[in-house]
Amino acid sequence: MAELTQNEKRLLAVLAREKTADALHLAAHLDATPEAVVQWAYLAMDNDGAKVERIVETGFIFTDEGEKYRNEGLPETRLLAAIGTGAILSDLQNHDAFKIGFGQLRKKGLIVVTDNKVVPKEGVSTREDETALKNPSKGDSRIKELIKRGLLKETETVHYRISITPAGESLVKEGLDLREEIGTLTRDQIISGEWKSLNLRRYDVTKLPKKAYPGSIHPYQRIIAEMREILLEMGFTELYGGIVQQSFWNFDALFQPQDHPAREMQDTFYLKETLPLPPDYERVKAMHLSGGTTSSTGWGGIWREEKAEQCVLRTHTTSISIQHLAQNPNPPVKAFCIGRVYRRETIDTTHLAEFEQLEGIVMDENVNFGHLLGILHEFYHRMGFEGVRFKPSYYPYTEPSLDAEVFVEGIGWIEMGGAGIFREEVTAPLGINYPVLAWGLGVSRIAMLRLGLKDLRQLHHSDIAFLRETPALRRTGGV
Amino acid sequence: MAVITLPYKYLERLTRTDRRTILDKVALIGSDIERMEEDHAAVEFFPDRPDLFSPEGVARAMRGYLGIETGLPVYPVKPSGISFSIDPALEKIRPILGAAVIRGVTFDNESIQSVMALQESLHWAVGRGRSKVAIGIHDLDTVKPPFRYIASARTRKFVPLDYSEEMTMDEILVMHPKGRDYAKIVRDFPLFPLIVDAEDHVLSFPPIINGERTRVTMETRDILLDTTGTDARAVAVAVNIICTAMAEAGAKVESVTINGSETPTLAPAERTVSVKECNRLLGINLTTEEMAALLGKMRFGARPDGADRVRVQVPCYRADIMHDWDIFEDVAIAYGYDRIMAQPPATYTVGRPNLVQVFANFAREIFCGLGYLEVMPFTLTSEEIQYRKMARPEPAGTLHILHPITIDNTVVRTDLIPLLLEFLTMNKHRELPQRLFSVGDVVENCRTYQKTAAVSMHPGADFSEAYAVADALLREFTIDYSVRESSDQAFIEGRRADILVNSKKVGVFGEIHPVVIRGFDLEHPVAALELDLRAVPGYPFP
Repeated sequence: MAELTQNEKRLLAVLAREKTADALHLAAHLDATPEAVVQWAYLAMDNDGAKVERIVETGFIFTDEGEKYRNEGLPETRLLAAIGTGAILSDLQNHDAFKIGFGQLRKKGLIVVTDNKVVPKEGVSTREDETALKNPSKGDSRIKELIKRGLLKETETVHYRISITPAGESLVKEGLDLREEIGTLTRDQIISGEWKSLNLRRYDVTKLPKKAYPGSIHPYQRIIAEMREILLEMGFTELYGGIVQQSFWNFDALFQPQDHPAREMQDTFYLKETLPLPPDYERVKAMHLSGGTTSSTGWGGIWREEKAEQCVLRTHTTSISIQHLAQNPNPPVKAFCIGRVYRRETIDTTHLAEFEQLEGIVMDENVNFGHLLGILHEFYHRMGFEGVRFKPSYYPYTEPSLDAEVFVEGIGWIEMGGAGIFREEVTAPLGINYPVLAWGLGVSRIAMLRLGLKDLRQLHHSDIAFLRETPALRRTGGV
Repeated sequence: MAVITLPYKYLERLTRTDRRTILDKVALIGSDIERMEEDHAAVEFFPDRPDLFSPEGVARAMRGYLGIETGLPVYPVKPSGISFSIDPALEKIRPILGAAVIRGVTFDNESIQSVMALQESLHWAVGRGRSKVAIGIHDLDTVKPPFRYIASARTRKFVPLDYSEEMTMDEILVMHPKGRDYAKIVRDFPLFPLIVDAEDHVLSFPPIINGERTRVTMETRDILLDTTGTDARAVAVAVNIICTAMAEAGAKVESVTINGSETPTLAPAERTVSVKECNRLLGINLTTEEMAALLGKMRFGARPDGADRVRVQVPCYRADIMHDWDIFEDVAIAYGYDRIMAQPPATYTVGRPNLVQVFANFAREIFCGLGYLEVMPFTLTSEEIQYRKMARPEPAGTLHILHPITIDNTVVRTDLIPLLLEFLTMNKHRELPQRLFSVGDVVENCRTYQKTAAVSMHPGADFSEAYAVADALLREFTIDYSVRESSDQAFIEGRRADILVNSKKVGVFGEIHPVVIRGFDLEHPVAALELDLRAVPGYPFP
């Protein structure tokens, strides 16, 4: 049995004396409306303390017309009396009951009219109708007719008969706390010690109140933060750089040939702005043309300064990494960057024109391809992916290159990102004399898996309900 | 990316093993299986390996990788006695010509399709959409050598492929579908490239279209290949890839004389590489013999040369081998990435957060404490959202995209409040109050820096709320600030204030103007604030 409310207790206390009573009667005792009493009674019934019977009684009320006829008699009764044993029709027409009374008498067939003379049929009377009107009872067949004539109406009256159950009686015997209930404690009640004698209302502790939503960090930002923390823990320096980059740093310094398809207008957001080339750009130019001083052949062809000066919205954060390396050519360098990158793509559920990329680099005297695989293993394991494997791939500025795949339960192997060692054609012109391990991954891909999103746009054009309902704590597993 | 169709039966015959064995391993030489159909697989190869853009090329590589046939494939070349001359007037137009004769081909519908597909893939990957390299294939029996590659008047007429009437070259650029596609490559030259035979019949109008006369059919037995372009290396690679693919299919390649020299030779390039350098790069420990054997699997000719060196013959079709490390990658692939010991380097460094991100996180902490929800709008937006709906003038330093794809993405954001309002519009049906903040990059005069902003929408949102939140943010950031009445049209007059630091405006707050509220299709009062994070003491770039 659930806890009884204060009102249920009060009701039971009265019922303990009355045993059975009408809600109206109880309402007077409890100083409440009958409706409230009925509500409490039903609550008490749910708690087995009381029984509620709903009793429907039919009765009649009289219309104004009906009330009038009850007092002075039906018009046909009065007209019949005026007719007596016979009367002249034109005389009768002045009688105040003529209009209705004459119609009724004819309808009931109580009179005979010949020429101008009205004569009652023998032995007739309207007594039964009068009786039905004076004392209406449900079974009477004449009532229907009177209702039709609009003299009275049928009504239904609902009564609630409330009685106490044995269980209710024993509750009362055990003693009920009938003190007034308090909802919210006041300062005065706390300080004065009054709280000790107060009857604090008990809550149904299973019932959820209106939800509260904390201010919170975007679920996608949490994933970015998690990756950032992992890399900081692994000893990497965090980089930040501009969205607007010169083609030189976005492409040329990364040994992307000037006629490479990725540099075309349909894949990259170009800007009208240009920036002057760095002082020793010609070493990069020589690398493109002939391989500079390395074992490379270079791309050959032509290399135009104007093309390198043109600004773009960075297509990868590698433009930031490579500038960091150019400024810090001495080993060791371990750095990472998480930032937005841009591709000239038509936006749909799986493509965005801008998305977060994570990129890491390690430069040191004796680092090698195996170390790159080791870093990737470590990073993906820390992100919660148990299975990690690698396969050959191609990126214009790394050699050897690879793609990392992780195993996701229920989906299988998923490509997560690319990696490789910066080509010597990239590092040599910038005075970097040691191998640079580099890897990148699309952060949104992990976010889609973790957050179970079907549409990438939800990360940026989010539904507030999604932001409010996504819990802050997620298990650290891959997904 | 190039997706190559590999018919199982043909592939099995060329590779000399079953399809399971091939498809199980094909990803390990660098590819992605797109899909497997009843009779063929569609496999994507990387753009640096155009030699794999045909079933013949894939079979050649897989025979090596699977150990069925290793080492350098040798393609004998006999002189055909056919010669080409090149008109010096082409120097500025399209100077490079490569050509070859390929005899004894047996075409069926499928193999014609396959050669066409290879040709198209090469146009894309090596030819940069035909501008750098364009390839033409002709039935040799329809024309008479010697051939001339000339700069022709644009009024020259011939019947282009798929047509029955003569057209001038100018007309072809306008009327022929290929002419329209590639017109931009030649349009601006006074003369057009043209290949004609001894009787002045037109073989080809490179890089646009062949003549109908030399159309390749199922009866064709001997082929003349022409390859023109602007880059000698790229033209040679395209010739080598097509010739060796057709040789793999059983044809015989013959050279031609171009301006006096015999071409192609299909001979390998030579490189001598260091085993020590390879081991150091990959983190493995190979002997010269082991390395030579691995390179043999990748179809290089390779033999040890002294204690540390391997002499490598690079097949003529390998366009990607520019540097010794390119050879080392093939060593790694042959060795197997899964056999290389994955171990993080011992390099000792200390993790260092970047202050920009540290301050951004600090803003997040403050706003979360105030009950605000973070949102991450796009950085690409429009003048409409950023300025017009905000009743604000566009600042001079706004960055415009040169070739936007949609009208929603025309500028890089300079302000965050408009994007937060746009966000409120998207969430009109959600419960109030809605309190949102964002922190992130903005760009002005090509310089990227960060701002933070917040909005609060509910029936009681007012200036005081905006002020209180702005003050909390500024206090927590220890920014010593003052305020003055603002003139920002996005806010209600008398309910708007600029945030000043050292008498310079660094932010704004107030009650959003009803015109702006309605402009964003909103219905409730909105309190808003925005702060340039460069105002934070100790910020990395003031």
